[in-house]
Amino acid sequence: MREITYLEAIREAMTQEMERDSRVFLIGEDIGEYGGAFQVTYGMLEKFGPERILDTPITELALTGAATGAALIGMRPIAEIMFMDFTTLASEQLVNQAAKLRFMFGGQSTVPMVLRTPAGSGTGAAEHHSQSFENWFVHVPGLKVVMPTTPYDVKGLLISSIRDDNPIVFIEHKLLYKTKGEVPEGLYEIPLGKADIKRAGKDLSIIATGIMVQKSLQAAEELIKEGLDIEVVDPRTLRPLDTETIVNSVKKTGKVLIVHEAVKTGGFGGELAGVIAESEAFGYLEAPIIRLAGREVPIPYNRELEKASVPQVEDIIEKARELATLKV
Amino acid sequence: MKLVKENAEKYLLQMYQIRAFEEQAEKSYMAGKIHGTMHLSIGQEASAVGSISTLEPTDYIIGHHRGHGLCISKGADLNLMMAEFYGKENGYCRGRGGSMHIADVKGGNLGANGVVGGGIPLAVGVGIGLKMQKENRVLLAFFGDGAASTGAFHESMILAVLYQVPVVFICENNQYAMSFSASDWTTSKKIAAHGVIYGMAESCSTDGNDLLEVQSAVEAAVKRAREGGGPSLIVNDTYRWRGHSKSDRNRYRTAEEIEEWKKKDPILKFRNYCLSKKILTEKEADEIKEKGYADIEAARVFAESSPDPKVETLEEGVYAP
Amino acid sequence: MAIEMIMPKVDMDQETGTVVEWVKTDGQQVTEGETILVIETDKIAIDVEAPGTGILTGISAHPGDVIPIGTVIAYILEEGEELPASVPTPAASESEVVSAEKTKDAEIQATPLARKMAETHGVDLSRVPPSGKGGKVTKDDVQSVLAPAGPVTSGDIVATPSARRTARLRGVDLGQIKGSGPGGRIQTSDVENFQPRAAAPAISPVLGGEKIPLIGMRRTIAERLTASYQSIPHVQFTASVDMTNFIKVRADYNDLALERGDEKISVTAVLVKLVAMVIADHPMINSSLIEDTIILHQDINIGVAVALDKGLIVPVVKNANLKGISNIAFETTDLVTRAREETLTSADVRGGTFTITNLGPFGIEQFNAIINPPEAGILAIGATTQEVVALENGAIAVRPMMRITLSADHRIVDGAVAARFIADLKTTLENPILMNY
Repeated sequence: MREITYLEAIREAMTQEMERDSRVFLIGEDIGEYGGAFQVTYGMLEKFGPERILDTPITELALTGAATGAALIGMRPIAEIMFMDFTTLASEQLVNQAAKLRFMFGGQSTVPMVLRTPAGSGTGAAEHHSQSFENWFVHVPGLKVVMPTTPYDVKGLLISSIRDDNPIVFIEHKLLYKTKGEVPEGLYEIPLGKADIKRAGKDLSIIATGIMVQKSLQAAEELIKEGLDIEVVDPRTLRPLDTETIVNSVKKTGKVLIVHEAVKTGGFGGELAGVIAESEAFGYLEAPIIRLAGREVPIPYNRELEKASVPQVEDIIEKARELATLKV
Repeated sequence: MKLVKENAEKYLLQMYQIRAFEEQAEKSYMAGKIHGTMHLSIGQEASAVGSISTLEPTDYIIGHHRGHGLCISKGADLNLMMAEFYGKENGYCRGRGGSMHIADVKGGNLGANGVVGGGIPLAVGVGIGLKMQKENRVLLAFFGDGAASTGAFHESMILAVLYQVPVVFICENNQYAMSFSASDWTTSKKIAAHGVIYGMAESCSTDGNDLLEVQSAVEAAVKRAREGGGPSLIVNDTYRWRGHSKSDRNRYRTAEEIEEWKKKDPILKFRNYCLSKKILTEKEADEIKEKGYADIEAARVFAESSPDPKVETLEEGVYAP
Repeated sequence: MAIEMIMPKVDMDQETGTVVEWVKTDGQQVTEGETILVIETDKIAIDVEAPGTGILTGISAHPGDVIPIGTVIAYILEEGEELPASVPTPAASESEVVSAEKTKDAEIQATPLARKMAETHGVDLSRVPPSGKGGKVTKDDVQSVLAPAGPVTSGDIVATPSARRTARLRGVDLGQIKGSGPGGRIQTSDVENFQPRAAAPAISPVLGGEKIPLIGMRRTIAERLTASYQSIPHVQFTASVDMTNFIKVRADYNDLALERGDEKISVTAVLVKLVAMVIADHPMINSSLIEDTIILHQDINIGVAVALDKGLIVPVVKNANLKGISNIAFETTDLVTRAREETLTSADVRGGTFTITNLGPFGIEQFNAIINPPEAGILAIGATTQEVVALENGAIAVRPMMRITLSADHRIVDGAVAARFIADLKTTLENPILMNY
């Protein structure tokens, strides 16, 4: 099978869906001629024209509301907010409107929209261009939150998200854009709400999101040399969460390390820990549930400080080893 | 356009229904039967009826939190509306929305909204969708003077003009954003001017209590939108007799001011016009008033005997399947 | 037509309004829309308008009254109209606020001591699960909702959820397992690998016969007694007790108990009570030596040794000095029964400060018991037999005599201390009425 990048997979998903369904259109800043802040939509304006590729001035709030309104009367828009940091500006329309219109109106309507947004640190963009807020949106009933980590997953999940009749926050880690992987050429769906065991193991379960999945896999490759067989579970969809796969993994290994980039306090890891502790898996725990996550700081500019602010492969190796050998 | 009797009856009836609905809402509330709060539009009837009377049944409206009048003008089933107001299972929104979030999507009413300015970006999106669907439909997007100061309003104006959406934005300036006096920062004319500044072909302000004046302005804007002429902004200058919500103590305005505006009662104005032009007789007008109040009384009875939602159904409707 | 005026709702979440003042009074003419009443909600005053034109009358709410919304508080009548028949005559200001401060405590069944203790410590008796007869709250029950006092005997067990589950499924006592996890935490593998050790007889294999492995309770007892014997310098003190009065007193109590349909009063129960009361005057007997500190225990918790087939168990009667004989009888019978049924909980066997062991029923005249650490002493009770004794005046009598032997920790208890205790105890056993003197 041919290999393409995560970024190309996103573009392919959107292009193929737009060809298939005339109700799908894009709206966002600099997505037209500029090709998108990260070049995701490069070439799409030529293919679909300005009627379906809506470039906007700097209006995060209104463009998110516009996507919501269009979805409300039957269109299937994909909005882009070029940095997750700026979803703060859009959150009124996302949280108060998109998430709630269906419920508020007693089920009279649907809001089939996707809000795509690049998140995460590591590019030196510092405090206002590096954050991850997946937990904020996981917290809102009415929204779905998807966080794919491989080119294969991102295409299948984006296609499913576009076809889903609910408002979906679709989070792409910036550092994943250039990663390559095998991706089928045609249209295919990956169901939302299904986790993926990226690496099966028996000594420890790592539940990781976003780029931490990649880092955890690298850590696992190192640890197997020490005879430690690590299982890496990628939830892929954060809301709704595939609790069954996660619980079964923890039951199998009895030890769990949660790894995410976003700040630890109030982060999604707390939700995962709670889900595990409340489940059947509790009776199988051999050690405390440990979270390895972002430090309690805004992302700093200096390269080394930036790296130190989020878990790196060495950190994951150390923590995983500690937990797998019951030193904690 | 000459006012025909059939329309005069319809408009007058709708205005009386709105007035009766609001008065009944107030009574039910003070008797402790209504949970939460509500925002009454007594005094703003002409703005609602005058504007929405220009639409085809397949057109849309989207509103704000003071939206009972807009709902009725768009042809809502009064029973279902009252049931929703009472929070009952067979209300429009199954009791989940209440006064501030009543919607009748099939009837083209995309809902009231609890966030000031919340509906304006939605309106832009609806306009984009309508344009793409190519069915010649238009949207009337209502908001108040309070929303005219929000970022959402300004951002939306820019996008609306950029995409030339078939939307008529209607600002009902009732002089107060909760307690903040609109005249402290703007006027109806100034708000209307934003339409032009942002690039709309036309925008204007009207005497919001004169049904026919409102209708005339909105009709022109609707025609323009339908023919691809893009969005307009119309500001209806009006007044709300009651406070912002039920918790409002009316400390920010005087009794005299309220009395002055009550003299400009839009219902009396239109009724007198019909009588003076001999389009309706006194008796006919009275009968219409009686019918309006009777319709609301029937709705009240319907609502009060409707069932409450079952708690077991709490999580239904959060997600589409 | 009489128009009702109700207490209006003007606020979200408002349930009542307070009448501040009537601007118009009973009998006055009012006009619709005119302010005739001022009410207060959330400390803010609101003007209320007349709902109609007419005569204001039938006012039933007065300044200061807190009225639920929707309640009719007045009427507007037309000239010559009468008030509706159902209107009650305006009452004087009656507050709607009902005080819920009934002394519910008075309705709860509790022993006087429990009541006193609850009062002293501010415990709500209705919150204390009763364990006494007929659902009575006992002092012990009150005690258990307060912070636990007394010595810590067995340490808290640290084990992972998985280890606990495995132990539960296998019926293994976690208390017997040594943990290999961090800080001695018991891991599942520790439970899975836990093998009761087969006892290999050290003696020459020539001796055959049945082999009984030293496991479970037997093993624990063996270990603890060895430790006690080896580390505590035991010193024994014996006295002979004339049980004449004791027997009579016990019989009297027993008759009383039978009359009242209460638990039989056993010898053990009376012993526990008397020993506890005497200990109260001899705090050193009720202590523990922990490292370099002698801890004098506040509570007197008497352990009663019970022989089971598989070993000895010592359930504890807590605060025996403060309980009535009937209560103690109830408790000891209950504890002994549950000990034999093997349904004692760890709470039942923890917290003891002194132990009584009675081999009288087996005909043993006298014996020396081994102290139950971390206690400071243990009292061995021998059989009561009719003996010929010489009285003070030289006459001879036949009396029921019993030997009691105190084994004490000589690090804590000196000869004189022990002697005084035993003397006191003997006196009290021989004259039980001194109990309440």
